[in-house]
Amino acid sequence: MISASFFGRYAAVRSVAIITARTSGFITSGRQIVCPPKRIQSFHSRCHSTTASTTSNANGDAKPCSVAIVGTGPSGCYTAKYLLNAFDKKSTTNSSGIHIDMLERLPTPYGLVRYGVAPDHPEVKNVENDFAQLFVDSNRIQFWGNVAVGSDAVVSLEELRELYDVVVLAYGCASDRKLGLPGETSLLGIVSAREFVAWYNGHPYFDHIGYEVANALGNDNNDNPKHVVIIGQGNVALDCARVLAKGAQGLKDTDIASRSLPIIGEDGVANVTVVGRRGHIQGAFTIKELRELTKLQAEGHGAKFVVLEEELDLGETPASKQELEQKGSRPKVRINKLLRDAAAASSNHDDTTTMDTKQVQLRFLLSPKEFQPSDADPSAVGAVVCERTQLEGEPGKQRAVGTGQLETFPANLVLVSIGYKGTPLPGLEQWFDAQRGVVQNRGGKVDEATAALGGLYVSGWLKRGPSGIIGTNIMDAKDTVVNIMKDLDASNSDDSKSDAREKLLELLQQRGVHVVSWSDFQKIDAKETSASYKRTDQQPREKIVELDEMLEAAGVASR
Amino acid sequence: MFSRSRQSLPLIYSAASKRLLKRSPCVGSAIGSIRHHGGPSVSTNAPTVTVHFLQPDGETVKSVPARVGESLLQTAHRNDIDLEGACEGVCACSTCHLILPQDVYDNQEEPSEDEEDMLDMAYGLTDTSRLGCQIMVSEEMDGIQFEMPKATRNFYVDGHVPKPH
Repeated sequence: MISASFFGRYAAVRSVAIITARTSGFITSGRQIVCPPKRIQSFHSRCHSTTASTTSNANGDAKPCSVAIVGTGPSGCYTAKYLLNAFDKKSTTNSSGIHIDMLERLPTPYGLVRYGVAPDHPEVKNVENDFAQLFVDSNRIQFWGNVAVGSDAVVSLEELRELYDVVVLAYGCASDRKLGLPGETSLLGIVSAREFVAWYNGHPYFDHIGYEVANALGNDNNDNPKHVVIIGQGNVALDCARVLAKGAQGLKDTDIASRSLPIIGEDGVANVTVVGRRGHIQGAFTIKELRELTKLQAEGHGAKFVVLEEELDLGETPASKQELEQKGSRPKVRINKLLRDAAAASSNHDDTTTMDTKQVQLRFLLSPKEFQPSDADPSAVGAVVCERTQLEGEPGKQRAVGTGQLETFPANLVLVSIGYKGTPLPGLEQWFDAQRGVVQNRGGKVDEATAALGGLYVSGWLKRGPSGIIGTNIMDAKDTVVNIMKDLDASNSDDSKSDAREKLLELLQQRGVHVVSWSDFQKIDAKETSASYKRTDQQPREKIVELDEMLEAAGVASR
Repeated sequence: MFSRSRQSLPLIYSAASKRLLKRSPCVGSAIGSIRHHGGPSVSTNAPTVTVHFLQPDGETVKSVPARVGESLLQTAHRNDIDLEGACEGVCACSTCHLILPQDVYDNQEEPSEDEEDMLDMAYGLTDTSRLGCQIMVSEEMDGIQFEMPKATRNFYVDGHVPKPH
């Protein structure tokens, strides 16, 4: 048994069986009987008790299997949820239990729900409550925050695979697709949208983005209207455009990080242009995000939404028209209509447009060709040159082909929003498809790896690529879980590595890793949502943006 | 893993940010309040009808009591039906998507623009699709079967390629 400082907080007491809400009756652990708490005690005591929720059977031979899930975003959480469901549905008489340990690099769970979902979409973050129930209701599953898998100083992937019966990688995408244009990485003021979003959402690793954005948007006593060009037309691009257009005024009651408000400015940015290579029928955004842009002005954010009718006409090729008639085209048809209405509305008001009106332009059939340095500062971007494209090809496979006609967009800041990209943890390279940024898998199972050392699986963006909405992870996680269960059912529970949790704890203690438990995270949560920490009453929370401050709030501060 | 190569830029926004970061004292805010599932609060004494949920496997039917006046999402959650409600029933996701029989669909009020927008993102959308959080149980629904979108088991194994986003 382990007895160290961590033990008190995160104890792994195998001799005490705390029953979960879902298991019925009470469990005999050999030493004592613990009656099921109806719906759990306090957060504190909940998280201080750990155990085998399903202990040995009468013969003492069915051992719980151990599962480590790397990443606690939507894909990790839904995988855990459906794994628990799958175990609940199995006949309980002879089944061994399951221990799930969810490992998270940050002290806080929820991944992109916390650091990706736009601050003005609080309702989308309601899913955090569902995920929180995982940790609250069940002692079979534990949150291990501040544990960066893949670092030798913490725990390597191989060590994890040796410790656990099943390892599920659900750590998503920590990199970006690149345009591959000269200046993209060297000119200041060109930032990936992924980094920009992480920064305004208060991610502790992205503070440095603020310096670059601040420089670009010129908090330099220069009152010229600022221009931001966003390259790419997914929902991330539209989120960025909306946040920039709303400005501090329109976002102060959200959970956007305070550090970003003075930089994006009280009124936001005057000119935001979102460009995409293909036409409006091929855009990757969904209608909710588009509609929000059309309503910016009506909802008091003072930003006119501009769509050019002639670009919509250019995009409506015969092949595009066919795309609108295909099965499942309903979302595209509705987007087309909304854009047509918006284009008509924006051309009707052309006369009233003045230079000082904020505007968000959604521009199509424009392919970025060149970043031009700024006249004032040759180390920084000043403009983006785009080439007019035309669509060629079959319906559903149309490509944007250059026409030679160029258009130059002034840009103080460029956000590149052409997609996230997964990267392999050390030790994962051989099963990684570097081109697509995903782990090679079949139904979530990494076949060769599993054959070599035991169950390795993958869920979410690392499995299917960076697309879809939170809900997409439901089907995705179920798919992976089906295959995990298949393999577990075929294996002998006698061979289960049921002491994985204790061994991992021991390893992390040896290496001086300060693990943030679920109850520790509750302390971070309490601080972030406390009236004295928030900037307005209406704000749901003010995120702590410094890692040290998070650990201190969690009560696990480094010495 | 993350580029920190551009960190040496001057800290030119610190004064402004410090002003903003000086948080105003606020009192009386709802601290850590958890929002519960959206939808009407229906008495446990409300009359009930029996509704059926055709499961994603396309075969199994689960029959459960539904309280008149509650949403179908609430019915599902009270009865352990595996219908997700990621946004907690506030019409901000598409995870509680259900397929209604044509006549029941026709008897409903038109879906709101918000619901239509969410339905656009629903997996396996049909002409009679609605969100479970937006459909309220009525007396006339006794005996009605609602269909959950079909799960395609191992759809990646079967060669399904998700559309790029």
